[in-house]
Amino acid sequence: MRRQAVRLIGLVTAAALVAGCAAAQKNGAGAPGEAAGAAGVTDTTVTVGGVLTKTSASGYSTKDAEIGARARFQRANEAGGVHGRRIEFAGAEDDNQDAAKGDAAAKKLVQRDKVFALVPVHAPNFGGATFLEQQGVPWFGWATGPQWCGTETGFGYNGCLAPKPGAGSQTWWGNQMAELIGGSAGKSVYIQTTDSSGSKYGGKTISQSFQAAGFTLAGLNSGLPAAAPPPDWLPYVNKIMTSDGGEAPDLVVSIIAGTKFNTGLYAALKKAGYKGLLSDATSYDAAILKDPATAQALEGVIAAPMFEPFESQAPEIAQLRADVEKAAPGTALTQHLAIGYWAADIFLKVLEQTGRDLTRERFLATANGSFTYENAGFGRIRYPRDHTEPNGCGALVKLEGGAFKVAKNMKCFDNVPLR
Amino acid sequence: MSELFGYIVSGLVTGAVFAVMASGLTLSYSATGVFNFAHGAVGFLAALLFFELNAGLGLPAWTAGLVAVGLFSPLLGYVLHRAMFRGLAQAGETAQIVGTIGLTIALPALGLWIVDLVAEPFGLPRADATSLPHGLGPYPAVTFTFGGVHLDSDQLITFAFAVLAAAGLWAFMRHTPYGLRMRASVDRRRLATLRGIDADASSAMAWTLGSALAGLAGVLAVSTLGLDSTAFTVMLFVSATAAVFGRLRSIPWTFAAGLGLGVVQNLVAGYADFAEDVTGLRTAVPVILLFAGLILLNRSKERVAGSAAEDAPPPDHLAGLPMWRRRLPWALGLAVLLAWTLTRSADDFYVSVVAQGLVLALIFCSFVVVTGIGGMVNLAQASFASMAALTCGWAFSSGLPLPVAILLGVLGATAVGVLVALPALRLGGRILTLATLALALLADQVLFQIDAFSNGTIGWPLPAISLGFTDTTDPRVRVVLLLALIGLVGLLVRNLERSASGRAVLAVRSAPAAATTSGVSAPRTKIMLFALASGIAGLGGVLFATFKGSVTATDLPAFAGFVWLAVVVLQGVRRIGGAVLGGLIAAVFPELLAGWHISAHAGAILFGLGGMILARHPDGVLAQMAESRYRRRVGRQRREGAAAIQREAAAAAAPVTAAVAAPRPEEGRPVPDALFRLENVVAGYGDVTVLRGVDLAVRPGEVVALLGANGAGKSTTCAVAAGDLPVTAGRVILDGVDVTSWPAHRRAGAGVLLAPEGRGVFPGLSVDENLRTWLADPGPVYERMPQLARRRGVAAGALSGGEQQLLTLAPALVRPPRVLIADEPSLGLAPLVAEQVFEVFAELRARGVALLLVEEKATSALRLADTVVFMRLGRATWTGPRAEVDGARLAAAYLGVS
Repeated sequence: MRRQAVRLIGLVTAAALVAGCAAAQKNGAGAPGEAAGAAGVTDTTVTVGGVLTKTSASGYSTKDAEIGARARFQRANEAGGVHGRRIEFAGAEDDNQDAAKGDAAAKKLVQRDKVFALVPVHAPNFGGATFLEQQGVPWFGWATGPQWCGTETGFGYNGCLAPKPGAGSQTWWGNQMAELIGGSAGKSVYIQTTDSSGSKYGGKTISQSFQAAGFTLAGLNSGLPAAAPPPDWLPYVNKIMTSDGGEAPDLVVSIIAGTKFNTGLYAALKKAGYKGLLSDATSYDAAILKDPATAQALEGVIAAPMFEPFESQAPEIAQLRADVEKAAPGTALTQHLAIGYWAADIFLKVLEQTGRDLTRERFLATANGSFTYENAGFGRIRYPRDHTEPNGCGALVKLEGGAFKVAKNMKCFDNVPLR
Repeated sequence: MSELFGYIVSGLVTGAVFAVMASGLTLSYSATGVFNFAHGAVGFLAALLFFELNAGLGLPAWTAGLVAVGLFSPLLGYVLHRAMFRGLAQAGETAQIVGTIGLTIALPALGLWIVDLVAEPFGLPRADATSLPHGLGPYPAVTFTFGGVHLDSDQLITFAFAVLAAAGLWAFMRHTPYGLRMRASVDRRRLATLRGIDADASSAMAWTLGSALAGLAGVLAVSTLGLDSTAFTVMLFVSATAAVFGRLRSIPWTFAAGLGLGVVQNLVAGYADFAEDVTGLRTAVPVILLFAGLILLNRSKERVAGSAAEDAPPPDHLAGLPMWRRRLPWALGLAVLLAWTLTRSADDFYVSVVAQGLVLALIFCSFVVVTGIGGMVNLAQASFASMAALTCGWAFSSGLPLPVAILLGVLGATAVGVLVALPALRLGGRILTLATLALALLADQVLFQIDAFSNGTIGWPLPAISLGFTDTTDPRVRVVLLLALIGLVGLLVRNLERSASGRAVLAVRSAPAAATTSGVSAPRTKIMLFALASGIAGLGGVLFATFKGSVTATDLPAFAGFVWLAVVVLQGVRRIGGAVLGGLIAAVFPELLAGWHISAHAGAILFGLGGMILARHPDGVLAQMAESRYRRRVGRQRREGAAAIQREAAAAAAPVTAAVAAPRPEEGRPVPDALFRLENVVAGYGDVTVLRGVDLAVRPGEVVALLGANGAGKSTTCAVAAGDLPVTAGRVILDGVDVTSWPAHRRAGAGVLLAPEGRGVFPGLSVDENLRTWLADPGPVYERMPQLARRRGVAAGALSGGEQQLLTLAPALVRPPRVLIADEPSLGLAPLVAEQVFEVFAELRARGVALLLVEEKATSALRLADTVVFMRLGRATWTGPRAEVDGARLAAAYLGVS
């Protein structure tokens, strides 16, 4: 028995060595083809594909971003493409909000489907960042996580939203709110987050945004359980209602993803007699209007989208609506759709500036060489600066009488260093 | 003070939803022995249906709720019982846990998939995070104020339903015959079937009820949780805490614990501000309580590791094959894989998929060690892998060289494995599984949230491993490296199984007490197993991270560990081959599905189907393949063998009859007026044949004494007669009807009652309840046996041995069966009590009952018997009237001399 075991080890080791050598040789031979860098590009086409969280156990889904990107690419193709090349949009992979699957999806797109770039990438737990950075493949999308920040290949459509301490952090939410309510003097704000490191980080940046705009911080609480909404809101609401020296604050900002969380919190606050303002980042959602009772529960909430609201009169938004209507008639406009659309728009802009001679290296050199692009849809974007900080722009929308109304149009403010 | 009061009242009210869910969990566990991890998933499905009916089709909330809870959930419970749980109840612990975990993944996926398919054509709302389900009550909810506490209509409705459900459940279990049958089946399943209780139907009832409770909890919770299946699983874990505090037995305690949890959560949220700095600590409070409850309340006294009785290894069906033939398929597979890999290019996507599969396979090998060999189900394996990867990333980023970092990672995982093994020393079975689950969740929610350890959400970057001439950025190198490592682990596992340590493991697994008395240290053995398994998982985790190029805390979430376990067990957890196959399937299968444009839900649903396969073939696909091969070969041989035994028995019968001085007419042939008869019965356990052609006949009003030495096959004869053991060949006839294929409870219903060896009582039920399992009204029994009447409310287990035996036989006096089979009725009884027992038999004979009496103590049985049958080595060697039995014949029968 023992001898057999030894023989088996020997065999495996030998196989490993032979295989290793063979692999090493092939590796060397394969390299020059790679150096051409023309992956995903032909004389007439540029192939791109995206990674989205289409389905997840929690029900969170960014699948609408695919429609947005498709609509934008369709318009570009109808206008004759970019420098004579059509955009071949291979659609988007689903990462199930699983980092490992996102990594596999990125590899699949680059290695098997031979895409030039990943557009749109809109997945909160995206796990392909390291691979894409290594391979020098550009990727465009919504940079909500730190994996985007500080890379040379990851382009958030509105910059990096997870800056490191010391880097710029947004002040637009606080400033826009102050402008909306006629000044921040003497006004207090309470910020509610959940008990996870990501949400706590959000609480830090946003409390700073409001403080920079002159609000007093009445409280920053991250006690909410992260996994599921609490069955009982009473203890959280009690804390809020007494946070401003025993009184309720003037404004409550919720940094919680998920309408269910927010409706629960707002309903509980109203039950306890809260009369102040409510604001969050996720309530700008057409699905809420479909349900009159929920719309009523959220009445008066000020949502803070990071793109120009669909109700805006700006010509860029009219164009977006027309593009989407053409590509996918009858589609409801959502936050994720807008993100896909603007990510695609910025990608096309870089593609255009790169010129006819297209490689990933030249594309990245263009994008990272003092690239500036202003658009009413998302404000402005400046790379490489916005690889490490947010673009500092945002809008406010108020839910009033069962409909969303633009409260503040897209506007950019100076960032302040994150403490 | 009023704030505290508010928290308590409000917490009690909102805790009701945990109470409902936990009650269902306790009910189904205590009634069937299967801990249903899919309980939350059932709740989710009910909630999903409720939402689609209410918001989609516009049904009023109450109607939709009634359909979802009253109709759909019980039906789902019944279907699951038929398709899965029935088989799982006998399938051993690992298969049970894995089967229900498979369902946890499959059921929500199935529901969402169906909604995806029908949403467009029927104009139904989609079920994602944007959907906003309402509760049963008015929406927005109406608020009421009680003593300064604001409660809304949804909360009050939840509380009212919970109280109703609890009261109804209590009344059902305590005061209906169905409840009694269910409890009797739980108490002693085998005895219950012998009393004519269809234990299977009782389990079906338990699953139906449990599922309805899950559905109720789901519908009540959906307005707060939303249609988020993860949130439902989290709620299940919280409810499991309540169920554990009810010791998984007591529904009232479970219910109270559920309410208490609501209060605890409120108090933590309200007052535990000191925990602010430790991210996740407050979220993890139920998990911490779960762990504490498991450790403190659920010490397993008998079974510490999975015991051989419940989790017996399958016979090695390939044992007859030569070694090269056993290895051939694997060697061929390996050769094909290597050849394919080496002909692909360095950036080939599919090679990297295979490499990914092999990393998983390496991690899966740890399941082979801890579950396959050690018999302990560990749900924290993903946390070990994650722990190792994060430690490695942290060490490398702090400036240590990569090999040192890798070593640290593996050592870190091993250390954690040893820590996890500590609770394993006192826990066993499902309790241990739940404890590892709690630790896995704790790691996810608290440990990996520590920024210094996991570097926030960005994680740690890791370089490729350099082998000098090449490095692991090339997936082909990864494949070869991993194959080599898996080969090494395979050797390690094989040596472990064959070494003294392996025998120690087997000893501890099969009989912990015996192992201890034999000088095998159970703690040392278990710690070694956990350390080894977590070391392997850790190595896999580190490789996973280096191949990916980075590691974050969310790369290997705890839930992934559950899916992994399901995949491995499905292939077969006892062999490395199962792990390798499982890893490849886990990586390749989703790619194939995506390639064919099949919904990701479909893959999840297939895991659930896997659970159903497990219910039939608990040892996985690989063992199943070997077994079917074996069956083809052996099945025919066995049938032929049984026939040969019968022929032999018939031939042997002739000389025996001839030897008897005055043979009864038609000896060895059917007695014409017999009520109950065994005809040439061959039966046994597994490969061992015990009865080798037994003929036996009992007439009404006759006592047949079955005598013989230990091991003659007397108890087996009883079991065959009562339908407790199936026959291989031969027939069982009751009153001219062939009842061979009838199950025990049906035979009992037809009047064949077996009083089994030992005491035939349900120790957990009261005397009164014991009697009610056979009698509608126990009154007449009390009139005849006042000593039982005095103790009617006492649990039968607390009676003396004699009282227990009387309790066993008393029902037969009031409602005499047609055939009474008594297996060693006087065993362990005082002579005076034994006398009383034999008086009962005499009375029954007088009333026309056919009695088959098995006794080792021949003298007392002989006084009563009309006919005597001697058994030896699985055959009836002599049959004749009592008068012809003398000392010489007795000695011959017992000592085997003739």
